[in-house]
Amino acid sequence: MRKSVSVFFLFLLTVGLLANSQVDNIFKEALNDFESRDYQNALNKFRSIEHEGIINANLFYNIGNCYFRLNEIGRSILYFRKALKVKSNHEPARRNLEFVLTFTKDKQDSGSEDVIRSFWKRLFDSFSINLLAVITIIIFSLIILLICLTILFYREREKTVPLFITTILIFFLFIFLILSLLKWRDYHIENEGVLLALSAIGYSGPSNDFTRVFTIHEGMTFEIERQENDWCLIKLPIGLGGWIKIETFERIKL
Amino acid sequence: MKKYLFVIILIFATQLVFSDDISIETYVDKTKIGIQEYLKYTIEISGEKAGDVKPPELPDIDNFKSLGTSSSSSSSYSIINGRMTAEITKSYTYTLQPRKTGTFIIPPITIKYKKQVFTTDPIRIKVIKGSTEPAPPPSNRFKERDAQESTNLSDNLLLLARVDKRNVYKNEPIIVNYKLYSRYDIANLSFSSEPSFNGFWKEDIFLPENINFQREKYDGRMFNVMLMRSTALFPTSTGRLEIPSLELQVDIRTQSYSFFDFGSTKRYTIRSKPIAINIKELPIENRPINFSDAVGSYRISSTTSQTDIKVGDSFTYTLKISGSGNLKQFDPPILPEIQNLRFIDPEVSTKINKDKISGTKTIKYLVIAQEKGEFIIPSISFSYFDTSQKKYITKNTRSYNINVQEGDVTFIPSSTAQSIVEMEGSDIGFIITDTQMRTSIVYLDRFGYWLIWVILLMLIPASMVYSNEQRKLAYNIDYLRQKQANKILKKYMKQASEHVIKVDIDFYLAAQVGLSSYLADKLKIPRGSSTEQLLSEIGKGEIPDETMDKIKNIFEKCNQARFMPGGFSKENIDNDYKLLKEIVSDISKMKI
Repeated sequence: MRKSVSVFFLFLLTVGLLANSQVDNIFKEALNDFESRDYQNALNKFRSIEHEGIINANLFYNIGNCYFRLNEIGRSILYFRKALKVKSNHEPARRNLEFVLTFTKDKQDSGSEDVIRSFWKRLFDSFSINLLAVITIIIFSLIILLICLTILFYREREKTVPLFITTILIFFLFIFLILSLLKWRDYHIENEGVLLALSAIGYSGPSNDFTRVFTIHEGMTFEIERQENDWCLIKLPIGLGGWIKIETFERIKL
Repeated sequence: MKKYLFVIILIFATQLVFSDDISIETYVDKTKIGIQEYLKYTIEISGEKAGDVKPPELPDIDNFKSLGTSSSSSSSYSIINGRMTAEITKSYTYTLQPRKTGTFIIPPITIKYKKQVFTTDPIRIKVIKGSTEPAPPPSNRFKERDAQESTNLSDNLLLLARVDKRNVYKNEPIIVNYKLYSRYDIANLSFSSEPSFNGFWKEDIFLPENINFQREKYDGRMFNVMLMRSTALFPTSTGRLEIPSLELQVDIRTQSYSFFDFGSTKRYTIRSKPIAINIKELPIENRPINFSDAVGSYRISSTTSQTDIKVGDSFTYTLKISGSGNLKQFDPPILPEIQNLRFIDPEVSTKINKDKISGTKTIKYLVIAQEKGEFIIPSISFSYFDTSQKKYITKNTRSYNINVQEGDVTFIPSSTAQSIVEMEGSDIGFIITDTQMRTSIVYLDRFGYWLIWVILLMLIPASMVYSNEQRKLAYNIDYLRQKQANKILKKYMKQASEHVIKVDIDFYLAAQVGLSSYLADKLKIPRGSSTEQLLSEIGKGEIPDETMDKIKNIFEKCNQARFMPGGFSKENIDNDYKLLKEIVSDISKMKI
């Protein structure tokens, strides 16, 4: 009995290791395919790795590259956005996204980005979610350390200095905690979509019979607000809202 | 002489303010004047203190233009019955020129003096066309035998503006000539103001330097004619524009009637009529891309100084645009960039002929050959709008083949020849070949991460509990003694061990004091108790008999060694030290 259990665990372990090395092999093959310009095969291999349930910014970035080579602008944008969702400071993905966006028919920025907002956005993007988590916990442990030291050794002494430092640290903790929670929310929220169809018409209601509000083209990124049967209410970056068919786009999700 | 008869000084405003000091009057030389004449307006301040009054300020008078002021003062003294009175009169005379015909009012003038305010009466002036006085007869030289001589000034003195065309395109030059026609002897001429050519860019062709008349027939009569001004105007906007009138001040010499009368001059102002010009926008259809606002008629040519040169040598390439039109206002054609032939920024010179509308624009490039090879300076095209044919015309220069041969010096690019690396194409970045394809871990999703938070948070109550315990003990003397007991024992044990090595009797002293105070502290027995008391107290505790015996034993030995002579030896000390250590280890093992 005990023997069989240990054999079972050994099996699980080897399977896990094998799976990992297998993924690495597939990845290497995909890289070779890409380098020999067999983009379709490279893409299939990369996608198979994605099917294993691996969430990795570099993987998504490579898939985006393959799609771009295969002229599928919409999907390429989708995957670059996915890569940025995993790692907001993924510089190659950001550059490629900017480049690919020049191939789309619709202009995508809202056009009214002021300096402060774009600066804030850049700053926010330059912190990865894990870095924020680590910074937050370091500040938190510093605060705890200070409080404990104060309790233990400043019993009869003046407490101004440790209290002052603690206050400052709590202020920073607050900021970084909010930042990391915002990041965490961004990471898990799935309210953004990329249009994959060549074009889609936005109606004022969830049916063809409603008034046409706008026409968007492949690669457009938008927010998804509501879903009703086969229709989704989306909001474009310029602020326009309308209903489009669900099969025309795909959500940016991990 | 006659004219003085007309000069009747009309005292209009005679507001004689009867004050102690001064009185103020205003008057004009005439109340009805012609538009070409001038009005003299005088303010007279008289009285003993008139000299103290500040000169009055003339307000802006509607429809009149002030040409200047002059002031004079006179004083008279009289002695009556030995009392001297002084009478001072100051007068300010303004020359006013009417701007248009009609009846106007010169407003009252207010003068402040020593808190008194003097206000004069308004004066009504009538301005009529022409002149109130008969114009002087024309010069004898123009008298014609049979012709009915007109004595009207406007028939004998004219300023005419003439343009060469009234319908033009934007930027097409117009030449306007102002000519003075006169049948008088003219003593002097002056421009009263510079007309404002709004909507035009102007180039003066001619401005007279001295009076120079020529005889010319106009309207069937002979006139002395002088060109007063000639200007080329380039319209910069479209629509209906007006060429403004020119204003001249003419001094006419009147004829003398007698030998003793030398005559005098009389000043008149004459204006030309404004001329309306219709300016059309250049047509949009068929407008060439390289059109740069050149309007007129032009020729373009190009020359090079050399076609066969060596690397590092230079030659000049010259573009010449000549013709008539707005030469100064358009940009020269742009030269395309040619690799390895470096065109230094050109020297552009525009030579305009005397007529101001024709000339030559020369664009001279210095070209440096940077590499060996065959290069082509392409044909340059230049487009302009031809106003006579009313269409756009494009003219081309010939192209040149430049043959550059290996030179003696290799070309060393100067700093200005350096260029920023240019982007030759753009593409997406290459794929990432990092094979570490692991799912990226998000710490915030992990249970462990939040567990650290909880653990850290738990440290606070833990440290508070610990701190409280410490505080409780701090106020407990027994606890402190217990804590100190080990320290004291250590100190004495150290001393004792030193004595053991030296085989000294002081070992027993150290052992006794150390052990007894250690036991006292440890077992919470008051310090300074005698050995007996100590022992009986220890006996109450839960100390095993074995240890008890050892304690009793060592205390006895100590007493013996200290108080009985020769009570110690080398072996004894070693044994006793061993015994002491045993006791200490026994007690420290016990939980008290």
